[in-house]
Amino acid sequence: MKHLSIDRSAPPGERPAVHRVSATPTGARVDGLPVVLQRTGPGEYTTRVDGRSERVHTAVGGDTVHVQLRGRAWRIERIDPTLATGGASEAQGRSLAPMPGVVTAVLAAAGKLVSRGDALLVIESMKLQTTIVAAIDGELLEIASVVGASFERGTLLAHVHPQADGAMR
Amino acid sequence: MTIRRLFVANRAEIALRIVRTARRMGIETVVPWHAADRHGPAQAVADARVELFGEPPVAAFLDAAALISAALQSGCDAIHPGYGFLSENAGFARAVAQAGLVFVGPPAAVIELMGDKIAARGFAIRHGIPVTPSADETTDPASFAERARALGFPLLIKGAAGGGGKGMQIVRDPSTLADAIAGARDESQRYFGDGRLFAERFVERPRHVEVQVFGDTQGNLIHLGERECSIQRRFQKLVEESPAPALDRTLRGSLCEAAVRLASAAGYVNAGTVECIVAPDGAFYFLEMNTRLQVEHPVTEMVTGLDLVEWQLRVAQGEPLPLAQSAVRHAGHAIECRLLAEDADAGFVPDTGRVLKLQAPQGPGLRFEAGVTEGAPVTVAFDSLLGKLVAHGASRELAISRMRAALADTVMLGVTVNHHFLSRVIGHPAFGRGETDTGFLERHAAELAPPPPTDDERRALLAAAAAVFPDSARDAIPEPYASMGAWRN
Repeated sequence: MKHLSIDRSAPPGERPAVHRVSATPTGARVDGLPVVLQRTGPGEYTTRVDGRSERVHTAVGGDTVHVQLRGRAWRIERIDPTLATGGASEAQGRSLAPMPGVVTAVLAAAGKLVSRGDALLVIESMKLQTTIVAAIDGELLEIASVVGASFERGTLLAHVHPQADGAMR
Repeated sequence: MTIRRLFVANRAEIALRIVRTARRMGIETVVPWHAADRHGPAQAVADARVELFGEPPVAAFLDAAALISAALQSGCDAIHPGYGFLSENAGFARAVAQAGLVFVGPPAAVIELMGDKIAARGFAIRHGIPVTPSADETTDPASFAERARALGFPLLIKGAAGGGGKGMQIVRDPSTLADAIAGARDESQRYFGDGRLFAERFVERPRHVEVQVFGDTQGNLIHLGERECSIQRRFQKLVEESPAPALDRTLRGSLCEAAVRLASAAGYVNAGTVECIVAPDGAFYFLEMNTRLQVEHPVTEMVTGLDLVEWQLRVAQGEPLPLAQSAVRHAGHAIECRLLAEDADAGFVPDTGRVLKLQAPQGPGLRFEAGVTEGAPVTVAFDSLLGKLVAHGASRELAISRMRAALADTVMLGVTVNHHFLSRVIGHPAFGRGETDTGFLERHAAELAPPPPTDDERRALLAAAAAVFPDSARDAIPEPYASMGAWRN
């Protein structure tokens, strides 16, 4: 399951919607609907669009896929619903809000030891509910603990402080 | 004399284009390269490469002494300047000749004459070429308003020292002339510290039409027809075509005749372009003469079947023009689109990145002039021209339809390119009717805005993206709704 958004698909002033997409043996499932893709070459596919067979060209650059369809190129971004963008804050266990939203559930308490992948809280952004998980093992120093509280993009939602590993102790 | 080894003092698509013709003529080529431009398309095709140094990188391509010494050291006997950079620099042309090298272009004195816009205008007037009627305040300040009025309306009042539209006033109503003069003087004083004014007849809805001329050292000078380049943004051409859609036989004849007269009088040698504006009533006015090969020269090549770079090299070798005026034939219609690294839908802002995928369109009547290769970084170090697409057809309509298909087949991924915008421009009904003038893009901005994707398009885009995105640990996170189940109750 990937969370993707298309640049410029939203009206001006609005944020692009986040879509849930997963690859399937015959293509992909996009927001629950199957799409049949046929691979014709490296990064090249054919698919049916509005009743016609169309070629799709792709190129991956970091967290962006450039996709060309019907002579028009689009950028598709991978939205990480749990982690901040930027390796430094991820390495430090700081989970920043990937988009503005509201806290809908708090699953862990400050001061507790958590393991990488543990669910910490659930947020809802643009009608999409997302679980924020611990990025590293460590002590949960801070967590947005008020259900219903809203936050802006980039807000610190959880901060896990790395623990020295067993061998060091 | 015979050119044996040619130094191409340029880069990107034009360097490659010159190298190809030279090779076909049996002339060896040397191209410069800069660390910021190591992916240049000419480098793999040329016989030798010379590294240039300098920051910013464009400075290296403007360093006349370094280029001439690179040409000499690499054993070249001629320099082709391409367009831009030093191509219209009389000092460079002179220095090339002084170094004992052949300059593939006109004599330095002609570059000098045409490079001075006021001198060129005066030269045109002396040879009976129409220029927009104008009045200069400095010649007689007391009679300025009267002389301006006599030019006829609409009028453009601008600062004599000005530029970039500052201090410019358009006067349509004679009764507002006095106020406009006062306003323009005020603004000019404020922006340029100089309140002196200049009045010029304002041409509404002007078409940009230019004539390709060619001269040799034996005194022959002919024209190769005209091009229209009215589709512009920020005074830069985006789409060019030949022939110009709205010229009748008589107007085309007098425009080309005027261009030949001007260039002949100037003793012009090699390829040159006389640029004019054409008013809706068919009146035309000289703008300037470009003393070099133009970016848009391929449309002329497509309709005449000639290779203008070959002509340039032949003329530089002292050969006469290969054809007389009466032997030049024009067939069909050709259009060129400039593929630029820019976001046309966000105010034409330049974009940078890397060319991750590049696929040229193929088909009859098409020419793709690549300025980049796959993997090339696109930076702000050079201009945003990534390539040119040229389509030829038996009629304008057929050329447009070939171009639209070719634009759709052009794959340039990794950096924002204007190909879909160009396709909307040439697909616009007004463009199809030939209703083109320099205000086209502004006037039709609303209709040229990009449509949102259809639901089917959106799904296809997302599906393809998901198929190629490398899987990451993050994708293993369970679907939010599934993981939420327990907590919702």
